Amino acid sequence: MVVSARITNFLAYSSLTVSRVSHLGNGSLRYQWLLCRNTSLLQLRSKIQTVVPSITSNVSVPKENIPTADALVRPDLEGLYEDIREGLTNTQPELRQIAQYYFNGEGKAIRPVITMCMARAINYHLDQNAPGVIQKQKKIAQIAEMIHTASLVHDDVIDVADSRRSRPSVNILWGQKKSIIAGDFILAMASGMLARLQNQQVIILLSQVLADLVQGEFMQLGARENKDERFAHYSEKTFKKTASLIAYSCQAVSVLSGADSTLQSIAFQYGRQLGMAFQLVDDLLDFIATSAQVGKPVAADLRLGLATAPVLFAAQKFSELNPLIMRRFQEPGDAETAFRLVLRSDGLQRTKELARQYCNDAVTQVAQLTPSPYQQALVTLAHQLLHRMK
Amino acid sequence: MVPRSCLIRWKTRHLGSSIHPAVSFSRSLFASSQVYQTSWVQAVSNAEKVVGFPTSFLSLRSVANDEISNIAVYLKKLIGTGHPLITTAKNLVYSNDKTHQTRGLLVLLMSKAAKRESGQDILPEQRTLAEITELVHTAHLIHTGVINLNTPNANLEMGNKMAVLCGDFFLAHSCVQLATLQNLKVVELIAQAISDYSTAEFIDIIASENDSALDRWSQQMTLRYGSLIAHACQSTLILGNNVELIESGKSFGLEIALAWQANIEIQSFKSNANRADHVLSKLFPETPFVDVVANFQAVRDRHVNAALKLLTAFPQNDASLALGNIARALKC
Repeated sequence: MVVSARITNFLAYSSLTVSRVSHLGNGSLRYQWLLCRNTSLLQLRSKIQTVVPSITSNVSVPKENIPTADALVRPDLEGLYEDIREGLTNTQPELRQIAQYYFNGEGKAIRPVITMCMARAINYHLDQNAPGVIQKQKKIAQIAEMIHTASLVHDDVIDVADSRRSRPSVNILWGQKKSIIAGDFILAMASGMLARLQNQQVIILLSQVLADLVQGEFMQLGARENKDERFAHYSEKTFKKTASLIAYSCQAVSVLSGADSTLQSIAFQYGRQLGMAFQLVDDLLDFIATSAQVGKPVAADLRLGLATAPVLFAAQKFSELNPLIMRRFQEPGDAETAFRLVLRSDGLQRTKELARQYCNDAVTQVAQLTPSPYQQALVTLAHQLLHRMK
Repeated sequence: MVPRSCLIRWKTRHLGSSIHPAVSFSRSLFASSQVYQTSWVQAVSNAEKVVGFPTSFLSLRSVANDEISNIAVYLKKLIGTGHPLITTAKNLVYSNDKTHQTRGLLVLLMSKAAKRESGQDILPEQRTLAEITELVHTAHLIHTGVINLNTPNANLEMGNKMAVLCGDFFLAHSCVQLATLQNLKVVELIAQAISDYSTAEFIDIIASENDSALDRWSQQMTLRYGSLIAHACQSTLILGNNVELIESGKSFGLEIALAWQANIEIQSFKSNANRADHVLSKLFPETPFVDVVANFQAVRDRHVNAALKLLTAFPQNDASLALGNIARALKC
């Protein structure tokens, strides 16, 4: 639970030294280098702090009593889905029904939880107690969830999905045409809510998310010829599709709290690293979960033609995977072959390692905030994420 | 199923403008009458000269931006799928002489018409807003062109995929541009327009106890087309700080949108072989052709007159005259 000074110093050391030894062929150093490189490529409005301060404060709350992030922000998120549904009522009945369909409270609400936790942690750090601030931050949580859901609706049409969260997907129930319109409607309502927050910077941040989501989807359609570029492409796509929303939501709530650019950067970086780790864990579980089930031999991502981190790592050991990746596992037997080779390689192990690095970096970021139950919860979130991999 | 035709010209600052004799309109498949065509075209072309080049719109060929050139690739893929949105995609990728960006033009004209002093020019933010208006409209056309696929069909599925992504791209780009305008009210208004055109897709034009079929048509068209133009007019007046003209501008936008759409319905009804399925037959059932046309022309003319009346609040200048000409051209 305690982020020891030794680990953070090691990370700081390695991130500083690795940038000077980029020519080394060693795989894990190369990807740490990529981690740093991607960090510096981010388009942040504020300067990114790459030097990690040494951590001296230990968290004093005893281990057993630490509440989860979920429990801590539950009061804040009370009625989140009701409020979202309420915001979608002003329209024709059928559109209302479609738009509200995915907001039944069944989702994990991971984005609102992270957003509100960061909001509270930053507020504590800045001693920000104005009631209007927390209200607006709750709206950001709602908006983030609405943007995410709108993208899910469009994704279901694009992927020709037939179910989501154990229920038929929207396109199955209402057809593609109406589903797309419903997605646009949700987005429009979210934008309206955003405008009413009366903060220019927040609008700029969250509209960037929309652009990133689309671009991420386009990136997923494309493939990189050059296998050395593939991992960078995958990282960038992962940022745009998953981490961007979380990162900018965290930054947005920090802006509402009155954070300066340094503090905003911490919020952004936490959201970004956690988001990247989140996707990596998802990509990992896509392999592990299916191998545990009988009669379902291949991972869903492979079937969609997607080469995720485990496959990309495996391709370094088994270069026969490269043509399969290029043709997006279209040929019969491709997906099965890829699956087998991934399990034989160290792909899963290295994916875990990378996820761990991202999580550690996220923890390093929030370690710079004033200790509080919320700050601690942000640390716990990162650890919980790593636990999912076990 | 009627494929949507959307015709947009993507101009760059470097191309000259010229009068283009053949113009088609959104949602209309068939040629309009010659008289109407010429006077509309003339009105629009003259108006373009008043505001200089209509827009700084994206030209898919001239903008050396990764994202934009990717869109061109995906739109070309759409063309190969046999999807009904092919025409739309073609016009976006291979811009030709038959396209006008009329919504953007209306926004620019409104911006200029409101200027009280002759030296004042259209603000860069107003030009950006004109571009945003066209982008949002394009996204609308593309997204409403997605088709329902009940049986698997790889080509059409790919077509839908491209349509969804390209529409999303235009919407996202609009939102990013909107954010740069640094005006919260404008963001809210355009967001409302998107929400309205989404709602419009779920309205049935069937008479109920409170509303006649014609009322329902009006409601649907207001939401589908009127809202965007009206809110864009309102927004440009906000950006230009022409507070006293906001209400007139907004209402003008709505009236011109309804008049325009009414005229499109009339022209397509006249040239349509299969009239029974046309919306006008449903609005005026069991009415002879001549009477249907006359009735709807009356509806259209009411909106044109309302628009012209609202224009009188604006200063007399080239732009407001051009707007009047465009409105009057609809009456032919």
